[in-house]
Amino acid sequence: MAVSKRMVLPVVGVLLGLLMLFPIYMMLISSLRSETTVFDFQLLPVEFEWSNFKTAWTESGLPRAILNSLFVSVTVTVVAMVFHAMSGYALARLNFPGKSVVFGWMLSTLMVPFSIIMLPLYLITKDLGLGNSYWGLIVPSIFNAYGIFLFRQFYRDFPKELEEAAYMEGLSLAGTFFRIAFPLSVPIIVPLTIGFFLANWNSYLWPLVITQDEKLWVVQQELAHIVGGGYFTPWNIVLAAAVIAAIPTFILFFIAQRYLVEGIKMSGIK
Amino acid sequence: MTPKRISARTRNEWVTAYGFLLPNIVGLLVFVFIPIIYAFYASLHDWNALSPKVYAGWANYRELLHDDEWWASVRKTLTFSVVYVPLLFMSSLLSAVMLNAIRGRASGVVRTMFLMPFAITSVISAIIGMFMLDPRNGAVNHILELLGGSPQQFLASTSQAMFSIAGVILWINVGYNMIIFLSAMKEIPRDYYEAAEIDGATGWKSFRYITLPLLKETSTFILIVTTIGSFQALEQILVMTDGGPMNSTQVSVLYIFKQGFDMLNMGYASALAFVLFLIIFCLSLFQLKLLSSKKEGV
Repeated sequence: MAVSKRMVLPVVGVLLGLLMLFPIYMMLISSLRSETTVFDFQLLPVEFEWSNFKTAWTESGLPRAILNSLFVSVTVTVVAMVFHAMSGYALARLNFPGKSVVFGWMLSTLMVPFSIIMLPLYLITKDLGLGNSYWGLIVPSIFNAYGIFLFRQFYRDFPKELEEAAYMEGLSLAGTFFRIAFPLSVPIIVPLTIGFFLANWNSYLWPLVITQDEKLWVVQQELAHIVGGGYFTPWNIVLAAAVIAAIPTFILFFIAQRYLVEGIKMSGIK
Repeated sequence: MTPKRISARTRNEWVTAYGFLLPNIVGLLVFVFIPIIYAFYASLHDWNALSPKVYAGWANYRELLHDDEWWASVRKTLTFSVVYVPLLFMSSLLSAVMLNAIRGRASGVVRTMFLMPFAITSVISAIIGMFMLDPRNGAVNHILELLGGSPQQFLASTSQAMFSIAGVILWINVGYNMIIFLSAMKEIPRDYYEAAEIDGATGWKSFRYITLPLLKETSTFILIVTTIGSFQALEQILVMTDGGPMNSTQVSVLYIFKQGFDMLNMGYASALAFVLFLIIFCLSLFQLKLLSSKKEGV
């Protein structure tokens, strides 16, 4: 009985896993069918229409939207990592008056849901002259107490000896951070980078609100436009566009799955 | 001499610390904190974004009490939460239990399969949902027919659209929550189960009396985070139904979005947003309280 039980669970697990993957498979396989056979329900298409991808790529704003998304996501992630690490370090390692107040206040901002402040955030960002621009897409997305909190946790367990030695050698506190602590923070930077990049690549609501100019559209906006922009786009082209847009996240997923899992675990431990 | 050097170092530390915190203090102030205050300020005004604000007191709040569309949107939000939250909770807990029992290489494979939809963005999940749930030709109806069922309208039906959306959002989020459950389960010492086994408790009993109680903190965390998230689900709805058919998927955030950005009723939309914020804020406080009291208890 123990033997059969050992066999049953992995089989059930893989079957359920296949069920989870089925919609992704349908997207992939249907993106290769022709316009008239896109809804055919066989596991393999009769013929592969690779030209769908060319059509999706050349007859939409996808290339530009992908570049916009890349630019915005990378910029936000890089700046956020530096800012959040600096703050996390100060909160974990430096002593200054008002420390617990600052920390408590920063944490309290976690309770403010984005969808609720969307409207005033839009008004403020526009008043600051950042509306309908790359600045407007980038700047408000940088600030997030979550990263600060996780960096603080990380630096609290960071060995003190290295910093003491660096300080004795005459490095300033800022120098100690930038030359010693920050470069040694890879174990926390990697999962956070993946999380930030994915979150910004996913971003749809904020870009939808803050940009009017089509040239500024990010990839999620472009996809939403392709699927529901008022003109009829055949499903095979829509799905091909979705596949193209999903490629970067899937690559990241497979390269960095281990770190992604680490990041998720951290979010649950809090 | 010595006290002065110490104070110089201390002062240096203060300056560095505040220097390090400055970008985030300013950023969080301008892009999170002030917007909340601004929302409250705007909610006390009559303001259609084109003409100047006119102070209106609590008029917007009184108006929302009699706004049937707002109450309808609150009901839609609650319906969505009541369907989505328990479903997500149960399915991620059960898949974590299953995965926890799988040993060896199969475990990694199954985990990857469950987590992969998480790499799908909300807009793409919406596109896949629309495609698979197509009333006439969609894959889900094909499968229903193969199983002997009759085809359904899904997103085109006022009674099914909300459930369909919940299903799509559930699909991409199960893996994420499963990992959180799983990592909590892995921290439960094996001895507990071994001791229970000696007492004759296996399977359901050991799950009921060991696993579940020790997962209480994680369960609370997931329940509250998912509930708060469910109040805010918007992206898939915008793409899949935009509130339709016949307003059947117009949840609160979507109603706020439309009042603000489509109808330009900035003051009124701000009042609606502020009320929803208060509800979510209370939930978050409740969450913090539960978590901290739990930590003290241990």
